[in-house]
Amino acid sequence: MFKEISTMKRSFMVLALAGGSLSLPASAEMDTAYYNDHYCTTCHGADGIGSEGVQAPRLAGMEPWYLKRQLEHFRAGMRGMHREDFQGTEMQPMAAKLSDESIAELVAWVGSWEYVPTPVTLEGDAEAGRALYASCSSCHGANGEGSPTLGAPALAGQNDWYLVTQLQNFKAGYRGSAPGDTYGAQMIPMAASLADDTAIRNVVSYINTLGR
Amino acid sequence: MKHSVSRREFMNLVSATLGTGALIQLGSALSLLPMTAQAASLSLATPTPGKGKVVILGAGISGLTVAWELTKAGYDCTVLEASNRAGGRVFTVRSGTVIDEIGNRQVCEWDKEPHMYFNAGAARIPSTHRNLLHYCKELGVELEMFINESKTAYMQDDNMMGGQRIRNAEVSTNVRGFLAELFAKCYTAAQLNEPFTEAESETILGLIRQFGDLDRSKMRYTGSARAGYVSGGFLEHGVQKEMIEIRNLMKSRLIGSTFTANEGETGPMLMQPVGGMDMVVQGFTRKLGDKVIYGAPVVGVQVKEDGVEVAYDHGGSRHSIAADYCFNCIPAHLMTGIPNNYPQDYLASMRSIRRGEAYKSAFQAKTRFWEDEDIYGGISWINAPISQIWYPPHGIHKAKGIILSAYNFGGGMVFTKMSQEERVEAALAQGEKLHPNYRDVVEKPVTIAWHRMNHMLGCSARWGSGFGGWTDEVQTLFDRLQQPVNGRHYFIGDQMAYHGAWQESAIASAHWALKDMDQRVRSMATQA
Ligand SMILES: Cc1cc2nc3c(=O)[nH]c(=O)nc-3n(C[C@H](O)[C@H](O)[C@H](O)COP(=O)(O)OP(=O)(O)OC[C@H]3O[C@@H](n4cnc5c(N)ncnc54)[C@H](O)[C@@H]3O)c2cc1C
Ligand code: HEC
Ligand code: HEC
Repeated sequence: MFKEISTMKRSFMVLALAGGSLSLPASAEMDTAYYNDHYCTTCHGADGIGSEGVQAPRLAGMEPWYLKRQLEHFRAGMRGMHREDFQGTEMQPMAAKLSDESIAELVAWVGSWEYVPTPVTLEGDAEAGRALYASCSSCHGANGEGSPTLGAPALAGQNDWYLVTQLQNFKAGYRGSAPGDTYGAQMIPMAASLADDTAIRNVVSYINTLGR
Repeated sequence: MKHSVSRREFMNLVSATLGTGALIQLGSALSLLPMTAQAASLSLATPTPGKGKVVILGAGISGLTVAWELTKAGYDCTVLEASNRAGGRVFTVRSGTVIDEIGNRQVCEWDKEPHMYFNAGAARIPSTHRNLLHYCKELGVELEMFINESKTAYMQDDNMMGGQRIRNAEVSTNVRGFLAELFAKCYTAAQLNEPFTEAESETILGLIRQFGDLDRSKMRYTGSARAGYVSGGFLEHGVQKEMIEIRNLMKSRLIGSTFTANEGETGPMLMQPVGGMDMVVQGFTRKLGDKVIYGAPVVGVQVKEDGVEVAYDHGGSRHSIAADYCFNCIPAHLMTGIPNNYPQDYLASMRSIRRGEAYKSAFQAKTRFWEDEDIYGGISWINAPISQIWYPPHGIHKAKGIILSAYNFGGGMVFTKMSQEERVEAALAQGEKLHPNYRDVVEKPVTIAWHRMNHMLGCSARWGSGFGGWTDEVQTLFDRLQQPVNGRHYFIGDQMAYHGAWQESAIASAHWALKDMDQRVRSMATQA
């Protein structure tokens, strides 16, 4: 199921937005209100549910500290700069234009979206993945809930296709190898410990079972 | 050239070269270019009382077509459009236009004059696109001719002739001369006394001579005035240009362009609306008025047994609308991010479609410098990522004009990945190989990377693994997505046609859906 009825009901509810500058476009005449930095939903889906067609992951329910750091890393060119990082380079150019104020405002906006379960699209060996995940839990938590203290984000409930891309990118050095990316750098040896794409698929299949 | 050819081979050669008509028919059989179609007449039934509410998602040409046809038939239509303008990939840039590329928003600062515009998406209307032309006529959209091929425009390739630009006429004349001489040699050598009579043979040789402008007695090609004169022509004798050896021309993969610019889809007469392609869009929106809601992104679609419920944002709040029927032209790759209750196989079809990468850019030209070089429209070809330069066929002899500085339909990511500055520099550096003074005569660049345009993120839908990857599996996916969900929700747009990236395709998909719905409405009415 891509989308649950209960979520749909919720999404029909009127969404209260914080602050005037956040108001959505009202009409063709309101061009100044229309042209803001709220491009996120075109790629990440309505209310940030994630969009497989654009390979842009779920943002709804993301930890604000992690969201902020990623926007800053994209802006600084620490992420999404490698030519082969197709998805990252989709995200990077718009982040590059964001001001500190805009990032703060976007984090608040994204924070207004309720978490929505992501669909399972992957078929892997979750049992084999459980063993592999043993080395991940020290930072990402036994239930994949993440650790603000260690700066490791929640993995449970994220789009599985996205997690696969990230592990591949850490392994290939597209992410985590930029100077100054100390958080990303921690992931490089971890991703390297996953032997191949099958291992990656298995560990992500296990993360799929953790629920949220 | 001692090689002699069999009669059959020769016949193949002749028909392949001269029998363009035959080739075009073959093209149709292979569904390369669709057969000329009559404008479809859609005599739609009036809605069943109380069952006439329709919601249309996206004000692309297909959505507007549906809205207009159903409005005429008596339905109550609402069009929800995420952007603050209608038209989607029909987009004309002129003074003041905002180009809403994600991460690279631009505002056009060209002179404000009617001819100073640029069709950043659709630009050409072939005379065989009967349905689109039908709407142009019905909606009062004034048309003028569009010039696609110009013999006086240039071709440039670093691999050919030391990288010097040459006129298209020089390429086509010399290649034809070579081919004709080859034919003439084969013809005599093969001793073709059958199936032609002597008189027929004479005629054929005459054709070959004409085709290549061969020398009358020896049937040799030694150059032709068709390639243009170096000097003179009127009050002094014209000095013919030197013939160019085929060996030199062959160095470029581009030379075929001078033969295909007027073939296939660009073979029919081409037209453009006076003042910009978005005149077509305005033709529809004038009729539809406030039925189109702008700045209204769809955020949820629920198909029910007897209708469809759609959620959308507008004016800072969330709304919902219930309708009996829904027609949806939101690009498939964006639809996968909108909550819905589509069947799994329907969604799987949507997910299988890849995004296209078309890229275009333009400059304001401070003078119409091309007119000083005998160019009044058409295309210059270059073996570089910009690929083409188009000269406007409109605004002749005015002070300035808008020149297309790049058009890369299939491989636009080269530019998409660049910063605005890099894109502009690349266009200048490549363009100055065609026009040495280019940098000095152009200004105010605009770039349109369709892959990054807000609410679009692509052009055009790529079914299968890319161009030409049409397998049985793809066919199954396509067929599934064409079928409506519960007979209530139709997926439309050029993404739902075999021949993407034409407005005619988008309209054809809309007509297919309308006819299907109309049949259902009629059969339900007879059952009741
Ligand atoms: C570079 C280029 C050159 C082309 N050249 C030609 C040409 O010469 N001749 C020709 O005939 N055609 C040409 N085409 C093709 C033509 O433009 C398209 O085939 C046609 O416009 C597609 O129409 P459509 O109905 O499929 O909708 P689209 O144009 O794809 O429109 C989709 C609409 O959906 C809207 N939308 C997106 N998300 C949402 C949402 N969440 N809620 C509501 N609305 C949403 C979009 O804003 C848009 O208005 C060209 C296209 C390009 C890009
Ligand atoms: C042009 C499409 C596009 C737009 C617009 C866009 N993103 Fe992204 N974004 C992506 C893609 C694709 C990825 C996945 C990158 C990857 O796989 O490495 C991504 C990744 C991210 C990530 C990283 C997620 C993670 O778990 O690390 C964050 C955070 C993010 N985007 C936030 C935003 C916000 C906030 C906005 C609006 C201001 C936005 N994006 C606009 C395409 C986009
Ligand atoms: C030493 C601590 C640590 C360990 C152990 C660890 N991670 Fe991470 N992981 C991190 C940090 C920190 C980040 C955030 C990187 C950043 O901010 O760019 C991260 C990010 C990720 C991401 C990207 C998430 C996103 O939303 O983009 C994935 C996927 C991931 N880790 C998977 C794993 C897996 C699988 C393992 C076990 C094989 C693992 N991690 C082990 C610290 C760790």
